[in-house]
Order: sequence, then C-alpha cells, then structure tokens
Amino acid sequence: MAMSIVSLKFSVFLAAVFALYFAVPIKYRWTVLLAASWVFYWINSGWLTAVLVLDIGITFFFGRWIGRIYEKGEAEISNDALTKKEKKAAKARIKNRGKHVMTAGILLNLAMLLVLKYSNFFASSANSVLGKFGAGFQLPMLNLLLPLGISFYTLQAIAYLTDIYRQKIKADTSFFKFALFMSFFPQIIQGPIPRYHQLAGQLAEGHTFDYDRFTRGIQLILWGMMKKLIIADRLAIPVAELFDNYGKYHGMVLFFAAALYGIQVYTDFSGGMDIARGISQAVGVNLELNFRQPYFSTSVEDFWRRWHITLGSWMKDYVFYPLSLSKTFVAIGKKSRKVLGQFIGKRLPSFLAMFIVYFLVGFWHGPSWKYIAYGLWNGIFIVAGILLTDVYGRIRSALRIRDDAFSWKVFQMCRTFVIISLGRFFSRADGFRAALTMMRRMLVSWQSPAFLLDGTMAKLGLSSANWMLILVSLLVLLIVGILHERGIEIRNGIAAQPLIFRWALYLSAIVILLIFGMYGPEYDSASFIYGKF
Amino acid sequence: MDEMMKILKGIRPDVDFENAEKLIDDGILDSFDIITIVSEFNEAFDIEIDVEDLEPYNFNTVKAMHELITKLQDEI
Repeated sequence: MAMSIVSLKFSVFLAAVFALYFAVPIKYRWTVLLAASWVFYWINSGWLTAVLVLDIGITFFFGRWIGRIYEKGEAEISNDALTKKEKKAAKARIKNRGKHVMTAGILLNLAMLLVLKYSNFFASSANSVLGKFGAGFQLPMLNLLLPLGISFYTLQAIAYLTDIYRQKIKADTSFFKFALFMSFFPQIIQGPIPRYHQLAGQLAEGHTFDYDRFTRGIQLILWGMMKKLIIADRLAIPVAELFDNYGKYHGMVLFFAAALYGIQVYTDFSGGMDIARGISQAVGVNLELNFRQPYFSTSVEDFWRRWHITLGSWMKDYVFYPLSLSKTFVAIGKKSRKVLGQFIGKRLPSFLAMFIVYFLVGFWHGPSWKYIAYGLWNGIFIVAGILLTDVYGRIRSALRIRDDAFSWKVFQMCRTFVIISLGRFFSRADGFRAALTMMRRMLVSWQSPAFLLDGTMAKLGLSSANWMLILVSLLVLLIVGILHERGIEIRNGIAAQPLIFRWALYLSAIVILLIFGMYGPEYDSASFIYGKF
Repeated sequence: MDEMMKILKGIRPDVDFENAEKLIDDGILDSFDIITIVSEFNEAFDIEIDVEDLEPYNFNTVKAMHELITKLQDEI
C-alpha cells in the first residue's frame, strides 16, 4: 500500500489535513501535522516507520545530551573565581565533550543509513575483490527494505546535532515537536533538506487561515503537478526506451536521450518541490527553495548553486567548510604552496575538499559506482572551471567578447547544459559500464541530426501530438523561468486579478491536469525519481 | 584594515569591497573565496577562524570581517 503525493488518494488525505488543521485550536495545530506525517509515513512504509521513530529518538536523545553538557558547562564557566585562562581551558574541555557526543550521534545515524542503504554495495564490491583473489567464500547479500526518505532525514539529523554542537541552536526539549520537524510529510520523501532553525519553529507554532496564502499554496501545488504529470511522466517513456535499448541508436540520439532525461529529472524533482512547498505554504510554513532556474546556469559551479540548493548548502556547511579548515587540509595547503606555487597551492585544499563533496553527492544518490562517477564528473568540471577562469578571460579579450554580452551568456549556458547532460549518462544508465558505452557510442557513432525528422521520434513511445504537447509545455516552462530569473513573481500577477478570473484559472489548471496528465490505474502516477534516493 | 583590504583585493580584484553590503547573501563571494580569505586572514593576523564563524553575517561586509578579526585577536 502506498500513497504518492500526486494521487487522488493523497488529494483526499490533504483536504482532510487542511480541514482538520484549521479546525483545531491554534495551540494544537502542530499535532495535526505530526499525526498526518506519521499516518502518511505508515501508509507508505508500514513497519519501517519504526526505523524513522528510532532515528528520531536517537537524534533527540543525543541533541539533549549535548545541550545538557553546555548547560552544565555554562554554570562552570560563570564561576567568578576562575581566571581568564582557566575559563578558556574549561570552555575547550566542554566543547570537546560536546564534540564526542555529537560524533557518536552522527555515527549512529550514519550507521543506520549505511546498513540499510549501502550494505549490499559494500558486500558486492568486497565479493568481487575476494573473487579476484580466489577466496573460497562470499559475503552474504541482505534483503533489506529502505525506509522512505532516509537519505534526506539522515542529513537533517546530522545538521541538527552539528548545529547544537556549534551552539547555533538549542536542543529541542519536546520530543513530539522535534519528531514533527524530522518527519513533516510534504518534505520527508525528497526534501528540501531543512535546517532546524528555519523549520522547527514554523511547524510548532500554529498558523491562522490566510486566504491569499492558502490559494498561493494551492497554485504552487497545481504548478508542481503539471510539471510532474504533464512533462516528467511523459518524458519518462522515450527516456526509458532510449536508455534501455541504447545499442539501437546512434550518438546524436543518445545525447538527445541524456538531455531529455535532464529535463525529465528537473521537472520531476522541481515539480515535487513545488508540491511540497505549496502544501506547506497553505498551512503557513515556508520551506527553503531547492531550485532556481538551474538550466540558466553559466557554469557547472553556478548550476550546483541553483540545482538541489539545500543539498549543496548542506554539503558546504557540514563537509566542505569543516574539511577545508581542518588541520590536515591547512597543513596540505601550506606544503602545496611551497611545492606547487601560490596559485594552485592556495587552492589545493579547497579542490580536494570539493572532490570529496562531489564524491559524497554522487554516493548519496545511491549505492552504485555510476553515482560516484556522476558526482566526480561534476566535481572535475567545477575545479576545471575555476582553473580555466584566466584562460577563458584571455580568450574572451583576444576575441573581443564582452563578459556581459548576451551571446557570451548564451554560449556559457549551452556549454553548461552539454556538460550537465553528459553527466546524466552516469545517473540514468543501468550501470557505470552502460554509461561509458553510451558515451563512447556518442563519440564514435555520430550521425546527422535528421533523427528528429526521419521517424525515429515516433518510435520512442510517444505520438507526435504528445511530442507537441511536451514542446509547448517546455516553452511555457521557459517563459516562466525567464520571468522568475527577472524577479517577476507570476503568482503576484494572478493575485491582482478579479476573483472570477482566478477561479477560472484554477479550474482550467485542474482540467488540463486531468486531460494531459499521465496516469496509471486509479489515477496514480509514476513515483518520484528522487523518492528512491 | 589596510592589510585586510590588500588580502581581499588580492583574492578578488573585481569586487568593490568598500561599498558591498551583502558579499555572501548576494553570492558575490563563493565558498572557494571564503576558504581562501579565511586561510589568508588566519595567517596574516595569527588568528584561528573556526568553521562556526563561517556565518554570512561575519562576511557580508568588510566591517563585519574586521570586527570578527578584532574579536578573535582579543580572545587570544
């Protein structure tokens, strides 16, 4: 039994949650969200809900433990009899204690994730090594089910414990309010990955009904559903055909497949984010933005500032900064400056940390070498982009191209699009080898782009009317993207229209969704790509 | 302050540090710049900027950076 957030069942569930939320007294409204979150999780995961509750329990307990260490420590430090030096030493001691507890809490969280998500990957990698050395035994494969959203809420838990340790936040004292922060149903499946200081307070306080805010939330939900049901689920058909039977197609078509998959994953993931943010907005909760027109990026680095923003910002705060400033990395920096000179030497620690970040970004997506390759592919281009900044500058001035020229920007966007699309071979192909074979075919079996017209398109599982619909939808998406890029909020424009126009628009959106959305039996849709990570 | 400006200009000569008010919030400085700035500040002023100090409000303006350095120097 499952309940996708783009199903009829979920719409009924959501209507009940909204009604109940605004019906109970403000003080207790958060309990409606908690109950809804656990019911949602139970419907989708059954007994695996126990793993979520265990994770919440562990994180809550360790958070409180660090909190108590600091409380006791404050009393110790405020003793006037201590000298400045003694106070400093006491502070360092307390901080160290907090660090040990934080590390233990993080390791427990990671252990749950590694066992449930990655044990078979480690076992099969070890088995292939053992096989090569002729060992007479193999490690057993476990048949474990993955709790929904574990990759997302584990990061949430790590950030929570680290922020308490860094004294950015205080540990939550209410288990159930903390449980709501960890399991809030709109975002638990695929983010955005929230931070405690941004979300927990908003969830715990009750919000009054605000018609304008509520309808804006509904608009965002409808918009997200359109992206998911009309574009992403429709594109899934040709993408599956092309990636499953790549041997049949030549290079140009395979690049087209990777680009299509890029659009599919964008509309799928960002559509899911719009739905999550829309539901939250309807009850007065603001979730962080996870996408900012990523396909307008002018470099791979820029792309990762606009794509899955909350994952990037998590990696920056909890991996990139701590690693770059660690004693080991600082020492590497000092040595490398002597050996490699100022320019590279100064940047080497950041580059190393960046590679580790993108290795983790890849590995976080799933237990497979292809995801690691996907992460490193992006890391390589980010570092190369920084190293080549001067070269690009020289080429530009030699060709007399202005940095802010429109044509230069378009060139940069196209270049980034190609690099990102090529990286998609790793994330979508059946495995690392399949991705490499596709990339090789792309280079050696390059034919004319006539496939767009020679009938190949019609054999990919979509009729020409469906292709036309995708084309029109993408044009709409492009126009909306350009408006957002210019800081124009379309929902403000809608809000300024008369009531009758607004309701006609909502009804049209629903009708369009019903007619053009891709549905399975019982009006369920395909599951979200990121829901599986 | 002069030495600080020299370091900042050395890392990002294209940025108008004197007048910028949201170096982090507006994405003018990226995480690579921050790490380079921090390691140069640490060396030049003999301080230890910790990962906990890497908050936007400490790096949004030159004045904020100066205050952070002064605070850390006082703590030694």
